[in-house]
Order: sequence, then structure tokens, then C-alpha cells
Amino acid sequence: MLRFDNVSKRYQTGLDVIAAVSFEVAAGEMVFVTGHSGAGKSTLLKLVGLLERPTRGRVHVEGRDLARVRGRAVAHLRRRIGMVFQDHRLLLDRSVFDNVALPLLITGTPHAQIGKRVRAALDKVGLLARERAAPQTLSTGEQQRVGIARAIVGKPPLIIADEPTGNLDPQLSLEIMNLFADFGEVGTTVLIASHDLFLLKRMHKRVLVLDHGRLIDDFRPGAP
Amino acid sequence: MVGKAPRRTGDPATTPDAAPRAPRRRWRERAAAWRDQHLYSFFSSLGRLAARPFASALTVLVLGLALALPLLFWLAFDNARHWSGGLREARDITVFLDPAADAPAAQALAAELRGRADVAAVLVRTPEQGLAEFRQLAGFGAALDAMADNPLPSVLVVTPAASAAGYDPPLVGELRGDARIDLVQYDATWGRKLTGILEFGERLVTVLAALLAAATVLVIGNTVRMDIQTRREEVSVMQLIGASDGFVRRPFLYAGLWYGLLGALLALAVVGLLEFALAAPLERLLGAWTDAQAARGLGAGAALGVLAAGATLGWLGAYLVVARHLAAGRPGA
Repeated sequence: MLRFDNVSKRYQTGLDVIAAVSFEVAAGEMVFVTGHSGAGKSTLLKLVGLLERPTRGRVHVEGRDLARVRGRAVAHLRRRIGMVFQDHRLLLDRSVFDNVALPLLITGTPHAQIGKRVRAALDKVGLLARERAAPQTLSTGEQQRVGIARAIVGKPPLIIADEPTGNLDPQLSLEIMNLFADFGEVGTTVLIASHDLFLLKRMHKRVLVLDHGRLIDDFRPGAP
Repeated sequence: MVGKAPRRTGDPATTPDAAPRAPRRRWRERAAAWRDQHLYSFFSSLGRLAARPFASALTVLVLGLALALPLLFWLAFDNARHWSGGLREARDITVFLDPAADAPAAQALAAELRGRADVAAVLVRTPEQGLAEFRQLAGFGAALDAMADNPLPSVLVVTPAASAAGYDPPLVGELRGDARIDLVQYDATWGRKLTGILEFGERLVTVLAALLAAATVLVIGNTVRMDIQTRREEVSVMQLIGASDGFVRRPFLYAGLWYGLLGALLALAVVGLLEFALAAPLERLLGAWTDAQAARGLGAGAALGVLAAGATLGWLGAYLVVARHLAAGRPGA
């Protein structure tokens, strides 16, 4: 599903943010990427969504070499990746429904289907009752859940989330993570960057540890 | 009329759940989606304009005046050309014979001129006809009665053949050299000057129109650029979740189209208002001069053309700016 081959990313400052990272993620797997701040977690996710391109090495998504994905194909790749952001990045001038419907509008989904699928996604994150609400009137946790609904409404095979629980209290964080774990159950691959070690230990999922851009550990806490 | 529609953006064939269907059904669905997206952009962009009435009105006002200016010039010159048409075509040569020449001599010369290839017609006006004409003009009656005999010469009105008409046909020179002729009057010079003025005016209107069209494109481009600035977050989110360039571009293109269309409408209103305000005095002025009818306004075809031009310029201005922004803001691609 996702493969990194000796990937390095160097910004103009000359520092390798990602250095010779190789790993593979199978379809339906849920993987955490962790490390101190500045370890390269966000950059790694950006390489997957083609927000950045690697300086060296190759990234494959669904068997496709991202180096060959250019121009119009970039948008098409991103439609197959649901992205969740720490600051949720909802459009504040639109209702919850319209925010979640955006990916479907982009792909030109027929009107009749949009309503059904948006409600299904909102139902999954437990916000069906708030579809007419404005994002500002929601709590931080609810806003994050709307962001997740937007990421899953297009039924992408891969979800990437950058610190999705960064602004949430431990209880809410666990709820959100369990939500992601549910998607993994139905075959969606999930890649989450998080520095919350306590939370990761409770999830019992595979963890990739980055340190100064290098992959220093790949383990599964609590696994038999 | 509203410019070329952007390329269809969504390709349902690549969406995750596009199950194989009958080709016709899929084509129909895609066409419906395309139409929905355009209708949505068409109206939502208008809604955005309405959401900021002051800023939008200001832009539309600037555009309206910028578009009205060349229109007004064009109308003025169109009318001038029309009114002067009769004058420019006055190519008759008036030939005053020597006062000593009698009626048969005048007829003989007329017959001689009629025989020429470059003469279309010759009208003979005897001194008696001239006198009668003078008498009709008020005030001349008494003065003419005081004269013992008719002082007027015979006059030939020579119409050159169309092929021989020009600024200075050789016919005029030959007539001037004829001993039997006292005076030759040919008003080509004035017509030539008028033609020069009108040609210059037309060129001026063209240049002004081009300049103001460029200004229109820039004003709309700048407005749309500020639009993009305020919606930068929205654009970036759309790009992140897989919106194609066309999808991101479309609402801005429609906004540009609306600006251009509304500006053109305002320009037409300005022109119409001026036509209305000037119609009565202009008619009086013209009535005193010529037998020309009312001033020529802007026809329905021209008005539609102005609307189409405004919309096209708006679309173009928006396109230039958005294209630049998309190229600059495309992350890592």
C-alpha cells in the first residue's frame, strides 16, 4: 500500500529532515509515526500526500511511484488519500455538511449520492445531528471529527493524519484514535503522526520512531 | 457568449467507487455532474459578490465607466460619420459660365459635356431660373427689382461619373481651363478634411477602446487577486483534498465574468442615460442644420456585443490571475 525506499528530504537549510528512511505499510494496516518535534513526522506525511517531493529515494502509494505523479495526476492522487490536520482546516464560512461534502463535489459525485454519503460519514463520527451547524459553534473535538468525516467521505484507501489529537484532552484523544482504528478494521490504511507516547501505547498498533530524520525503531507495543 | 468553459475537472472513472457501468449512463452522469458544478459556481460566485456589496459595487462602477467611455466616443463618431455622409458625397461640380454666353451657348456646352465619358449628368440652370430662386429668398426681391437686367450667368451643374469622382478629378482642371467658363466650384477640399478628421476619430476610438479593455482586464484581475488572497485558506484546503486546477479556478472565473458583465450593463445604462439626456437638444441642433433624423443610438446587436465583450474581458482577467496563483501556490508539484 505504502512503501518508502531510502527516502531523504533536504530543505534549503541543508539539513536532512528525513534521512534514508525505508519502510512498508500493508493495506488495512494502522501505523503511528512518532518522535520528538522536528524529527520529520510532518515531512514524512507530506511526502505521501505530495505536498513535498523527496530529495532522494522513492515513495510508492498503491504501487505507484510518486515521482511519476505530476501535474493533473497530483489532484487525482490526493483524492485517494484522506488528510486530517491538527488544526482541522475546515472552511469556516460553510456548514458542517458543506465542509464534509467538499471532496464529493470535487469528484463530481451526483447530488443524490452526496447527501447520503455525507450523512453516513457524519454518522460515523457521531455528528449527524450537527450537519447544519457552523464549524465555529462546535467544540474543538467536534471540529476535529468533522475534519475526519471530510477525510473519509470519499472512501479513500489511505488516511493520513498529522497530530490529529494535538489540541485535545486525553479522553477525547482516545476517542478519536479509536475512530481511526475502526477505519483500519474495514480495510483502510491509516498513517498517523503523533508525539503522544502514552496514547500510542494504549492503541497497540505498529509505531515508527523517527529521530532527527532517521527511522530508529519500528515496533508494536503490547503485541504478543 | 460567456467565453470558453474550463475543462471538466472531475473524472469519476478514477474515483474510488466508480463501478463499471454502461458507457452511456456514465457519460450522462458525468455531463450532469459537470453541469451541476458549473451551475453551482455560477450562482455561488454571484452570492459572494452580493456578500460584499460595497467592494463589488466599487469595482463594477469603475468597470462601467471604463467601458462606457469608448462606447460614447464610438457613438459620437458613428453619428458624425452618418451626418457627414451627405456632405462627403456632394461631388457635383458647379460651373458658372461667362455672363456673355447666351442660352444656346449654354445648351451647346452642356451637350458637349454630356458627351464625355467621365460626366454622368449635366443640369442647365438659366439666368432666369437663378433669378427666380433669388426672389424667393427674403430681402432680395427689392434689390433685384432695382436692377435693369439680369446679372446672373448661366450655371451648369455637372455630376461626374462615379468612376471619375475623386478628390481632384481631371475634369475639374479642364473645365477651369475652358475660356467659355468664368468660375468652377468644386468642394472636394472640405470633404477631404472631414474624411481626415473622421478617420483620425475612428483610430482614436479604437486605441482608446484597446487601452480601456486592457484596464478592464487589469481591474478585474486585481479584484480577483484580492479575492484569492482572502480565500487563500480555502484554495489551499481544496488543493489538499484533491481539487483539480479547474475546480479551484472556476468560482474565480465566474466572479470575473460577473464583474465584467455587470460593468458592461452599467456602461450600457450610462450610455442610455446620456442618449436620453441629449436626445432633445441634439435633435433641435440637427434640425437647424440638416434634414438628418434623430441621433443614432446603440442597437440591440451592439449592446449584446458590449455585454459579451465585458464578460469575456472579466473571464480573461480572472484567468490570468488565477493561473499565476495556481502555478505559484502548487505545493511540491
